[in-house]
Amino acid sequence: MQPSAVPAPVHRGEVSTPAAGSPRTAGAGPTPVAGPRGSAGRNDGPKEPGRARARLYRFGLGLAGVVGVIALLELVVRLGLLPEAWFPPPSEIFPAFARLVVSGELFGPVGQTLQGWVLGILAAAAVALPLGIAIGSIELAHRLTRFMLEFLRPIPPVALIPAAVLIFGSNLDMKVFLIAFGTFWPILLQTVYGIHDTDPTLRDTARSYGLPRRARLVRIVLPSALPYIATGLRIASAIGLILAITAELVVGTPGIGVSITDAQSAGDAQDVMYAWILAAGLLGFLLNGSLQAVERRVLHWHTSFRGEAR
Amino acid sequence: MLVVSDLSKTYAPGGEPAMAGLDFTVGEREFVCIVGSSGCGKTTMLRCLSGLIPPTEGSIELEGRAVQGPPEDMAYVFQDYSRSLLPWQTVAGNVSFPLKYKGLSKAEAAAATEEALAAVGLADRGRSYPWQLSGGMQQRVAIARALAYKPRILLMDEPFASVDAQTRAELEDLLLDIWRRFEITVLFVTHDIDEAVYLSQRVLVLHKPAHVFEAIDVDLPAERDQMDTKKLPRFGELRSRVLASLRAPDTTSA
Repeated sequence: MQPSAVPAPVHRGEVSTPAAGSPRTAGAGPTPVAGPRGSAGRNDGPKEPGRARARLYRFGLGLAGVVGVIALLELVVRLGLLPEAWFPPPSEIFPAFARLVVSGELFGPVGQTLQGWVLGILAAAAVALPLGIAIGSIELAHRLTRFMLEFLRPIPPVALIPAAVLIFGSNLDMKVFLIAFGTFWPILLQTVYGIHDTDPTLRDTARSYGLPRRARLVRIVLPSALPYIATGLRIASAIGLILAITAELVVGTPGIGVSITDAQSAGDAQDVMYAWILAAGLLGFLLNGSLQAVERRVLHWHTSFRGEAR
Repeated sequence: MLVVSDLSKTYAPGGEPAMAGLDFTVGEREFVCIVGSSGCGKTTMLRCLSGLIPPTEGSIELEGRAVQGPPEDMAYVFQDYSRSLLPWQTVAGNVSFPLKYKGLSKAEAAAATEEALAAVGLADRGRSYPWQLSGGMQQRVAIARALAYKPRILLMDEPFASVDAQTRAELEDLLLDIWRRFEITVLFVTHDIDEAVYLSQRVLVLHKPAHVFEAIDVDLPAERDQMDTKKLPRFGELRSRVLASLRAPDTTSA
């Protein structure tokens, strides 16, 4: 759906100016970018026409910006400002991308990248969440670990690639380990902060009503830490994708990264290489969008989402 | 029913006491207001009375039993309603969540919640979220939560300090109504002298570090009315007495 929706306005962009293209595109597409946003729209109940129009307008502007940049790229390449040998115009990248989709070639590597991403983040979360809850709720543990965490966190995960290859070989395990290591920190630290930042009045309320310790954790502390944890997961998601593709590029573990290097070494298949890069970008965009949609639903009560839920 | 004897609290060993020799008794179904200037140790007193922190010295007895942790017969209404309500729970959820831990069944809890919400005039808002309500309504939710818990004594920490005057008058009358209907004891902390005299049967004036400087009986007619009661000459006299007592130089402590 993405590829067929995107190239169409590009050709229009070639003939007309981006500004002239915008009203038409605004009418054309509530679908692609609106995906995550649409879920919030359903909560709106009775929708005022004014607000719907404002949203459509905002969406239209966003789309116009995308179309504008694509058109500009096309122009820059066609005018010879960028050497066409290294920078194929968007009008060649998008069809190359479409061919990858149609032939089904796209899905294997995307699946492999996604597999590493999912397993890595799951492994990280499985350790980081309970550990973060423990560190956040036990003051002694918090003080003991503070400096160690601050020291371990800034280690760039990619620095561990050689060690990981030695330990695991250049396979999926190695990729999962790398992602798990890199995404462990944001999830852990956000969980610790979230647990630690629970409002003291809420804690007192729960205690004064005689809630036992466990109930206070489950019913008061965890829900109030959830927005922090969600942010941790979203940061982890972005880092995870970067690390997945890095592992593939550097070590050759199968996935989008390998497809990029393969396309590069194939010589005259520049447009295919860029199509794979586009695929990586779209994957990141979709992952982030899906996480945000889940967040919006689960945390509909949180200050940052209330405006949309009402 | 509540006997507080010689209660003291010092946070840092050897430091300034926040509360020193607090002594008072609250009778069954009495409405007592405590006034004191800010920083006189009211918060410390409330946290001790509610069993959230232990006192350094002295004892608290509720219905003859020593208070060592948060007692089951007591409900605490915090000043900061927006922070004491759970934003992820509906109004009904906020009222009912403590009941499970008091041993009520689901049906009992639902019935108690419904009754409490009706008592504060929010019967039809159970499915809203607290943050969708006005400040006055949020504090009503907090009061409903306390009521549903079926306490013998209600501890209130400046509960109406952050709502507008009109809402405040409404909430005061609502509270008086609830106090009579539910036959509970109320210990109400405020810094507003008018409010203290209007609501209570007795005003305890606190001086720093928290101790009772003077107890003033409020001999106004039992039936209170925002217009008529406040017009009575006696109301004015009592107000002046409380004010004078608040400002009086302390002679009871060294």
